[in-house]
Parts: sequence; structure tokens; C-alpha cells
Amino acid sequence: MLGAIATWGLRFAAVVCGVMLLAATTRAQSSSEPGIHLGVATCSGSNCHGAMERPPGSAVPGDEFIIWSKRDKHRQAYTVLLEPRAVHMAQAIGLPDAAHQTLCLNCHADNVPPDRRGREFQLSDGVGCEACHGGASGWLGIHISGASHQQNVAAGLYPTDQPVARAEKCLSCHFGDSTRFVDHRLYGAGHPRLAFELDTYTAIEPAHFVVDQSYIDRKGRVGDVQVWAAGQAIALRRRMDALLDPRHVPHGLFPEFALFDCQSCHHPYDSLHAPLPSAGGLGPGTVKLYDANALMLGLAASRAAPEAARALAAHMLALDRATTENWPTVQKEAAAVRQIAGDLAPLLGSYDFTPDDMQALFEAQIRLGTASGDWRFSHGEQITMALEAIVANLKTAGYVGDEQAEAMTDALGPLYRSFLNDEFFRPSAFAKALKSLQLAPER
Amino acid sequence: MTTGRFFATSFAGIAAALALLAAAATASAQSSDDGTHLGVATCAGDNCHGAVQRSKGSSVAQDEYRIWSQKDKHAQAFKMLGGDRGRLIAANLGLGDPQKAPICLDCHADNVAPTRRGPRFDIADGVGCETCHGGAVGWLGLHVSGASHAANIAAGMYPTDQPLARAQRCQSCHIGNPDNFVTHRIMGAGHPPMPFELDTYWAIEPAHDAIDAGYIARKGRPNDIQFWAVGQAIDLEKRMDLIIDPKNAPHGADPELSLFDCQACHHSMNDLQWRARASTGLGPGRLRLYDASAVMLQVVAARVAPDAAAALGSHLLALHRATEAAVPDYWTKVQAEAQQVRKAADALIPILAQHNFDKSDAMALAKALVASGIDGVDLDYSGAQQQTMALESVIAGMKSLGFADDAQIKGLNGALGGLYQVVANDQAYRPDAFAAALRQLGTKLPQQ
Repeated sequence: MLGAIATWGLRFAAVVCGVMLLAATTRAQSSSEPGIHLGVATCSGSNCHGAMERPPGSAVPGDEFIIWSKRDKHRQAYTVLLEPRAVHMAQAIGLPDAAHQTLCLNCHADNVPPDRRGREFQLSDGVGCEACHGGASGWLGIHISGASHQQNVAAGLYPTDQPVARAEKCLSCHFGDSTRFVDHRLYGAGHPRLAFELDTYTAIEPAHFVVDQSYIDRKGRVGDVQVWAAGQAIALRRRMDALLDPRHVPHGLFPEFALFDCQSCHHPYDSLHAPLPSAGGLGPGTVKLYDANALMLGLAASRAAPEAARALAAHMLALDRATTENWPTVQKEAAAVRQIAGDLAPLLGSYDFTPDDMQALFEAQIRLGTASGDWRFSHGEQITMALEAIVANLKTAGYVGDEQAEAMTDALGPLYRSFLNDEFFRPSAFAKALKSLQLAPER
Repeated sequence: MTTGRFFATSFAGIAAALALLAAAATASAQSSDDGTHLGVATCAGDNCHGAVQRSKGSSVAQDEYRIWSQKDKHAQAFKMLGGDRGRLIAANLGLGDPQKAPICLDCHADNVAPTRRGPRFDIADGVGCETCHGGAVGWLGLHVSGASHAANIAAGMYPTDQPLARAQRCQSCHIGNPDNFVTHRIMGAGHPPMPFELDTYWAIEPAHDAIDAGYIARKGRPNDIQFWAVGQAIDLEKRMDLIIDPKNAPHGADPELSLFDCQACHHSMNDLQWRARASTGLGPGRLRLYDASAVMLQVVAARVAPDAAAALGSHLLALHRATEAAVPDYWTKVQAEAQQVRKAADALIPILAQHNFDKSDAMALAKALVASGIDGVDLDYSGAQQQTMALESVIAGMKSLGFADDAQIKGLNGALGGLYQVVANDQAYRPDAFAAALRQLGTKLPQQ
């Protein structure tokens, strides 16, 4: 995927950043695995992952550390905690600073306990190698001795190449889990909105792996659409986890607003924001749950698991309605949605999306975006990233030629531009840009 | 008040930017039993209120109908229901024809019962004469025969010249009563927000009364500061009634959002907006009840009834706190605190309605308004908007009551223009810019 997507990522990095600049600094890391985190310096040797050019016989380009340290915002995740915005945020919620707080460090650094930090470990490295790939003490030895990928993984390397595993890891921060969650109090204090789509964000990170023959031989080929679909399933499951979390039961008047659609409230009220409500959904003037992941997952499953897709839609509708009724019903429906999303993740993460599937998915995305009804900024954002993942997949799988892929990628530009600023987002401009998109895979 | 109030003309545009569409939804009579409404045509005769020129000996300018029909958005209130936006809102709400829906007509027309509509009554006249002045059937005879104002009132004309009565009438739509409240569902369907301040909106309506010697002889001299103060108290009282109303209790996780501060949610996520506000005690990321009228009322009460001001402040804080009480019956607590705030406002109303706001009051209130804005951190957009209109009312009072000379008024109005610029667009509002504009206005205040 990286050919097309990395190009896209570079070309549209500025555009994408306009949407989610600061959000990209928070990053999945996990501290649940047992190993010692040896530190970024352990990996960045010029014979290892800090090479200026590919070492002879190396299975990887060797420049992974250089890409991370120079271009990847994960590298800055800790240092942003020292900036005025972070200090302001900390003060707003009654903390003396941001850079010493578990609340912040759990996602802005590789915040493993002190007894699991090796000699070269630096908290200030931000979200470094082992935040995602796992503490290396158990596998570094075999890793530098030419072990296979499977052996590395068996010894404790985290399988970020697998869609579901990657989704779990990235979303543990880019949505959150039971130990880290950007709640609305933190948003209100100034935390940027967390926008995310696994496949697109892998590309614009930018990815520091190259899917070449050596990669495919060692790890197999994973399609962008699989990554996208697994990302949607895990994101939805995590959202339901959060909705079911006893800490997020409404306190007095306030539900946990972070679980709702940001633009449902944060929009200028001088525009006619809401068109006709969708059939059966919530009427005008109500705060709506964020549902873009569920919509995406429904489309992803519509051919692979049509019954699950239908059940998902029914439970999401019931969930939406329940928010204006009572919390026990919200929890009941959230549990049902959670189950479906959890079941779909492994299924879709390994599903063989055929060119026909992708064509149908592409068309379904366009239908969703051009249909009138209850339609939101968050939908447009996810539709656009879904289309990007489909185009990338068609290209890397050889279903479309370079030229055609480039033309399709170019056509995504107006889509991105139409929601560059959520304050001035107009569904009509987005729908117009969508209608002009064509997909005609070569067969 | 057609005496050339600066902002009635110069800032109509800016005020309109705040309030343009909202102004169309307007004060309807709470005309429950004020007789038959004879219709606008009954009043618009060219010997009566539709004259091109004042007739000899007339106690009023007689162009009242012409001002209303040509300049006043109340005359368009019904028609605008049939426009694109009105129809869209009705469609979003599943209402059918908005020009037939009582929920719309109750404020967009003089929606009295059919049995109380005279032969010349026309619903399409929108918010017409009798919507505010009351059904004329009982007093028209006296009125055209030269009765005194007091005699007209005694016969059933509504006393819009009295601050309390005017506030009740205008604000019965320009906030609403429990039965004609613009809920968030209606807002979400496309209804514009409804900023209001009694004295300023009276001026920009534009008012069709001329405060000349004849007016003063018949009705006394109006005091803009008093209209402002009473308007704030009634606003607060009505808002508390809406909180107490069982219809507005939360449904599941969905509260009646129209009770809350619009910009608490409707703001950009791209700026760091939140600031600690001691008067709410709420942390970041919370919904915040609209409280601008309570904040204004505290400023005026601090001058005329300091004990009441303190009570109001503490009940207001308790009300805000109750909204985040982590208990199942939190809404009962919210309602109980709203009841307390309402009581505090209630106690202030007779004091404000009777207080003679003199020159020293005007100066003290102007200073207090400026200072509370600069010192305080309470400058939400809605607060700044009310503060701007409060200062306009105080300055208008200074002018009409002769508390400042022309040059001073000119300087103050110029500085007021700076405030209006800052609040012209809620999305672009910046508290520091507002504080700077307030400081500038402070330098123009006359030294006593």
C-alpha cells in the first residue's frame, strides 16, 4: 500500500494535518507486555534501524528510526506536553503540569513503570519503537540474529503487521481504553479532537515500513481495506467499551460528551446545519452519538457478513434512540453493538476483499455520502479516508494501473478540501466532490 | 425614543447581525382575555396612526402604523413563516404548514382564538398593534374620543409604557413562556437564536413612540436604565420558570439544551476557549446554563439592593453546581435551586420597578459594568452581548435624562461601537478584545 498511500500521504499531508494535526501526536502504546523497554537508542544504530542506506542483505530499508525521528509526530508526543497549550490544559483541570502526569504520559510517551525501563530508555523519546513494537528485552537477541518474523513475534515482538493487532495497539490511544481516555473535560480544557482511521493514519504517520517483496515474503500481503475494516471494528468496539464503562454513566446532567459526535454541538449555529432527520433516528436539536465507525463497519460487512451488518444497523438505531430515553437501554444496546464489532474484527481483518467487493464498497461509500438525511462531518471524514484506503488497495494489489490510481488519488483532493475546516463544512460541497469520483478498475 | 438614540440608527446593522432573524420571532400578547382584536386596519387610518403628517393638536406623532409597517420586523413575522427557512423548519419538525401551526403562530402572529378576531382582523398582519397593546374592542371608543392614557389603560389597553408590563409582554415571546418556548428541537430544526435586551430592542424595533413633552406629560419620562434592569429580572425569572417546568426535564441523556448557553457548545474546537468562571464553579468541558441575565442583574442589584445581589450570586452558583451533581435526582436539585434564583429575582423586581435611577446610579452602573467586564473572567459571549446592550441602555439613559453632555455621549457611543464590533460574530468573539473595548469605553465615562 505504501507506494500509493505514502505519495498521497506526502502530497496531502498538509491537508490532512489541517483536520487532525495535533490529534496525530497521541499514539498507541502499550505497557501491558512484560518485557523491559530498552529505549529508542537501542534500535537506532546505523547498522540497524538508523541506517542512511539499506545495509547489504537487510530485509528492511534500515531507515525506520530516521523516518520516525524526522517526520513522525510520535517523536514529538512528549515534547508537546511542555508547550504552552499543554500547560494551559493541565492548569484548567487542576494539574501543575502535563509532562509529569500519568494521564498525559500514558499516551504521549512509552510510560512503562520505572522497573521496566532499560538503561537507554528516555521518557522524552515520546512514543518510540517499543511503545508499539513491545519491550525488546525478550526478543532483541534473536531479532538481531536473523530470526524470522514469526520467531520474533513468538518471543514478544508485537505483531503490528496484523490488522486487528495493529488496530488494537493504535486505537488504545487514538481512541483510548480503560486506562487512558480523552474525556470531554480534557477536550474542554483544550485537547485537540482525536480523528483516526487506521489505514490512512498508518500511511500519513508516515509509515516506516515498505511493502516490498522482502516484506511480503516475511509477513504476507495485507490489504488496505482489511486494515481499514479491522480499524473500524476495533474503534467501534472500543467506543462501546467506553460507553459501558461505569465511569461514563452520566453524572447529573452530563453524559460523557467525548462519546458523542463533536460537530453535533460544535458547529456555528448561523447555518442550517441539520437537514431532515433520518428515518427513525433522532430529531433535530439532539446531541448525537458518534456513529461514523458503525456506518463504516456496516458497509465493510455488507458483503462479507450481511446479517451482521443488518443487526449492527438495527442496534445502532436502537442505541441512538436510547440516548434520549434511559441509560440502561443505552448500555444494553451498546453491549449488543460491542459484540457484533468484536466478532467482525477478525473476520474482516482477514477477509479477502475481491475487486468486486472493493468496487461495491467504493460505490456504497459514494451513495452514503450523497444521500440526503442525517449526515455529518464525521461521516464525510470517514468516507474520504475509506475511499483513500480502497484506492490504495486497488493499486497495490495491481487492480488498477499507476496512472489510474494517481487520477483517483487526485480526485480525492476536493473531498479533503471540502471538510478542511469543520466549522465551514457543507455537506453539499462534499456531495458534489463525491459525485465526480469515478472508479473503473481495470480487469 | 425616536429622539435620535445613537444605536437605533448607527448600529442597527450590527445589532441586526446579532439578532436579525430572532427579531422576527417576537412578542405576542399573552392575550388570554383582552377582548376582541379588531385588526391592524382599524388603527391605520390616516387620521389616526397612519398619518403622513401629525394633525394639529394630536398627542402622538401618528406615524406609528407607518413605522411598524415599513421598518418593524414584527410586521413580517407571519410572512416569514412562509419563506424558505420557515418552511424548512416546519418540515424538519413535521409540522406541515408553518402558517397554520399554533407553535409558530403563537409568536409570529396575533394568534388569538377565532372567536376573538374582528371583521378586519388578518392573521397575516403578523405581530400587529393589538398583539402588544391588547384587543381594542373595549377601549377603542374612549381612545378615539381623547381619553387620557390612564383612562385607556383602565378600559383595557395594555400599559406598554410601564417597564414591568413591557418586559412581561415582550419577553413572553423573546424568551418565551412554558407554552411558547423555542426548544432546542426547534432551534436544531433551524430556528435562529434569540438574543434580547428590552431597552435596546425597544430602540432598534424601531420604537414607534416619540418621547416628547406630550408623551412625558401623559405617561411620565421613561428611564432606559430601569427598562434594562427590569428586563433582566424578568428574563431571569422566565428562564427559571422554564427550568422548573416539568416539560423541560432531561429525556435520558438529553437535556433541554435551549436552557443552556449557546456558545458553551456552539464554538469552534480550534481555539482554547475555556476559562475558569468563579460564578459557575464548573470545570472545562461542561454544559453551562445560560446566565447572562443573572450576571447583569447582580451588577444592578449590587448598586440598588446589595443584600439581594449577594443572595442571587450564591443561589446562581448553587444552581450551576446542581447541574453536575452526581446523583440520580440531580434535576430535582436543579429545579430547587432554580426556584431559589427565581425568588431572588422576584424580590428584586418591585425594587427595580420603583427605583429612581438617577445620575449617580447611571455613573456607578456604567463603571460597574465596565469594571466587571475587565476584572472578571465571566465574559462568555452571551455575557459580553448583554454587557454591550446594558451599556447601550445606560448611555441612552444618560442622554435622555440629561446626565451627560452631547460631546460625552458622542464619545461613549463611539466606544460602544467598538464593543458591538467585538460581539458582532459569536464565532469570532475574543474575550481579550472585548476587555480592551471596555477599557476604551471606560476612558470616555464622564467624571462625576
